[in-house]
Amino acid sequence: MKKIHRKALSQFLAITTLAGASSLTLAADNIKIALAGPVTGPVAQYGDMQFTGANMAIEMINKAGGVNGAQLQGVVFDDACDPKQAVAVANRIVNEGISFVVGHLCSSSTQPATDIYEDEGILMVTPAATSPDITNRGYELVFRTIGLDSLQGPTAGKYIVEQVKPNKVAVIHDKQQYGEGIATAVRKELTEAGIEVPIFDGITAGDKNFSSLIARLRQSGVDFAYFGGYHPELGLILRQAREQGLNIPFMGPEGVGNSDISAIAGEAAEGMLVTLPKAFDEDPANAHLVEAFKERKQDPRGPFVFPSYAAVQVIADGIRLAGSDDPTKVAEALRSNTFDTPTGKLAFDEKGDLKDFNFVVYEWHADGSKTALTE
Amino acid sequence: MPDWFYYLLQQLLNGLTVGSTYALIAIGYTMVYGIIGMINFAHGEVYMIGSYIAFIVLAALALMGIESLPLLIIGALLVSMVVTSAYGYSIERVAYRPLRGGNRLIPLISAIGMSIFLQNLVRLAQGSRDIAMPNLVRGGLDIGPATGFHATLSYMQIIIFVVTLISMTLLTLFITRSRMGRACRACAEDLKMTNLLGINTNAIIALTFVIGAALAAVAGVLLGMYYGVINPYIGFMAGLKAFTAAVLGGIGSIPGAVLGGLLLGVAEAMTSGYFSAEYKDVVAFSVLILVLLFRPSGILGRPEVEKV
Repeated sequence: MKKIHRKALSQFLAITTLAGASSLTLAADNIKIALAGPVTGPVAQYGDMQFTGANMAIEMINKAGGVNGAQLQGVVFDDACDPKQAVAVANRIVNEGISFVVGHLCSSSTQPATDIYEDEGILMVTPAATSPDITNRGYELVFRTIGLDSLQGPTAGKYIVEQVKPNKVAVIHDKQQYGEGIATAVRKELTEAGIEVPIFDGITAGDKNFSSLIARLRQSGVDFAYFGGYHPELGLILRQAREQGLNIPFMGPEGVGNSDISAIAGEAAEGMLVTLPKAFDEDPANAHLVEAFKERKQDPRGPFVFPSYAAVQVIADGIRLAGSDDPTKVAEALRSNTFDTPTGKLAFDEKGDLKDFNFVVYEWHADGSKTALTE
Repeated sequence: MPDWFYYLLQQLLNGLTVGSTYALIAIGYTMVYGIIGMINFAHGEVYMIGSYIAFIVLAALALMGIESLPLLIIGALLVSMVVTSAYGYSIERVAYRPLRGGNRLIPLISAIGMSIFLQNLVRLAQGSRDIAMPNLVRGGLDIGPATGFHATLSYMQIIIFVVTLISMTLLTLFITRSRMGRACRACAEDLKMTNLLGINTNAIIALTFVIGAALAAVAGVLLGMYYGVINPYIGFMAGLKAFTAAVLGGIGSIPGAVLGGLLLGVAEAMTSGYFSAEYKDVVAFSVLILVLLFRPSGILGRPEVEKV
């Protein structure tokens, strides 16, 4: 009796092991890439850009035969750009056994998530988080396909100093990692050039009433203002400034550069200056991709669409070059090669940042279009 | 008059504008607390829903080709008040009445649940993106010299003052002069005794939720038009500020809610005007703590007497 029992057990074990093995081989046909970003929340449209770009890349790569015979599969996770939710998302990605992440989007949610990825051996490429702190901690598995705040601030600062030449500038930020980081860099650039910054102040993200701040800007006699933050707040500031008769030019980072700011601020958005990554959709080399986006009624113009595409592509190329989907080997491949992507030739430095990335200053128009002011 | 005077005037006007809308929302908290001794945490969401309904009504009226400004504003106010009244009534029926008489913590939790439910309901129905309201009222009055600093009072701010004043007057008349208002005051005095005297207290409690919701809708319409942007999350912060205003003025007291709202609005405006916008909320809440330290029942609140 006992013997039969044992035999049955071993048979059962054999069957389950076999089944397990076959499901493993099935899994090997698909390389899952987690797409972590805001599906909901106030900055969800940036998430749209990220998912649009990443999904297009996944489809193009799969159509061309996949990676080492395997197909890529994108799985969307919603972090709502909330640091708490980002940690929960990172843990879910770990639990689902996914080894590659494209995301997160906001610097404040990317930072806590990277701790988990690094510990669990997951490779992350963010197409949008621009805070320098993210790659400053010696992590091996963290990369990005976008420039840093520390580049964007000086670009904006230099443009203000050399082209706008204002007398007094107000620098305002939203007290968040991204906004305050850029605002601090801009102030540094301005004070070094001898331009007075009488107001350096923070507002609360999500606040709706800026009338007191605007009255202070009017009283202080500033003739230019820089805002570090996102479009919901700057849109309202522009609108309320116009209503109170404050007609100075405003400038912001790429977090304010999307069509929603025109919806919020209306005519007050005309003439706003913004630093954005180069408009990759205007590059003739990307015409076929722009065509493919338009066929699907998707907008290729968002600042994070092409960096997200590039993020997926470098992961795929990294896996191909490493000949394995082991994140550590892929990370080595990323550091030692140059990748030809729709955002240009990308090479990563030791920290995981791009070796060079240019921000361009644009002038925004009320209808949501923009014209480039610098190369 | 020197510049500093007009600057002070400007900040005062800014503070009073925000403060009067805080007051409108705070009345909802204070009335419900005055009668059943509970905080309606779903009240901020009612304000948010008021904004959304105003947006929908304005869009619908514009579609019908109606462009007369008073008609648009009155239409938005009326429809929004009626619909949010229904929400206020439903909140009371669903989250409060079945739990009345139980532990006081239970309705508190059910109200928080209601708040999360309403926020997500709107988010799913309308999307989580910011919605821009059309800028209907443009321009304003300049007070002061043509050169140098002058205070501006926008027409929208004037509308906010006027509508708030009318709402407050009507409410005061209702509470002090009408039979229903007397019943409300009786309920606030002693709910059980009022019930024994033959007044339908359930109806009165429902009525206070409805009045609170209608006033929150007024605030929702006005602030939606003033700021020009709404999203499903605006109810949380507005609710928190209004709740603070209610506590500051003395929760349970209607004039207290008005005073607390105005005080909070002015404190915020003065902080960001003279000190730093960064410390706006810090100062506002420090004022609250200081007032409560010296007057634990708020500025106009009556000290709690244990009912036997």
